[in-house]
Amino acid sequence: MKVMPTLEGGLRIDAEGAGDWALLDALAGDAGQSDLARRLGELVTEDEVAEDWREFVVPDLADAFSKDVELVAKRITAAKAGCGGEEGPLWITRDDGDAWYSTLNQARLELEEHYRFGPSEMIDPAEFAPEKRLAFMRSQFYCAIQSLLLDHVIG
Amino acid sequence: MFEEMTSSDTSTLTKDVTALDVPWNVIVFDDPVNLMGYVTHVLMKVFGYTEGRAATLMMEVHDLGRSVVWTGEREKAEFYAQQLQAYQLKSTIEKTE
Repeated sequence: MKVMPTLEGGLRIDAEGAGDWALLDALAGDAGQSDLARRLGELVTEDEVAEDWREFVVPDLADAFSKDVELVAKRITAAKAGCGGEEGPLWITRDDGDAWYSTLNQARLELEEHYRFGPSEMIDPAEFAPEKRLAFMRSQFYCAIQSLLLDHVIG
Repeated sequence: MFEEMTSSDTSTLTKDVTALDVPWNVIVFDDPVNLMGYVTHVLMKVFGYTEGRAATLMMEVHDLGRSVVWTGEREKAEFYAQQLQAYQLKSTIEKTE
């Protein structure tokens, strides 16, 4: 898989076959399990605001996060269909940049929440069980795309 | 402040109380996922901080585990914390003591 910035301020991801599309398909699944809005809401503990936060803010955030994941899943599905799941491009436009970053972040936060990789300097993937190692590799891939988004699209 | 008002047969005591709202802190917590550059970017976007100021606060989050990134009235603090959470930063608001 190759990823490069576009002249229009977006990114182009060149998937090189079924394995790459499987990796991209995993993104929506990883992010879609996210309970991030609720976990963020639990950080607000002051009595005067906590109840309203959970009643009004958390549902809004959950809705926004979920819409980002839906948009990204739609883009991946369309791009994959466009090339029959073989070699082909996936475009991340500037307009979609925030939704992509959000989805990648949700996926990484969810993977971290589930597998507890910990601080990057302490990680030795060779010590992980196979499932955790695969999850860590997906997290690293998502992180690499996020860095490119930050450098070229949303930053 | 107390002010005594008198008339021939009554005496009324009035009391003016001026209580300042307690300021609220907006706090960002460290986490192992959010990129340092992203946290800086979000602090610049939400608060309008310069890159230097935002980077200093980001490093405080990274080194100390949390940082007070803004202090002021409650409504604004709620608004800012909501924005930070919309950007998926671990954040909250707390009354100052």
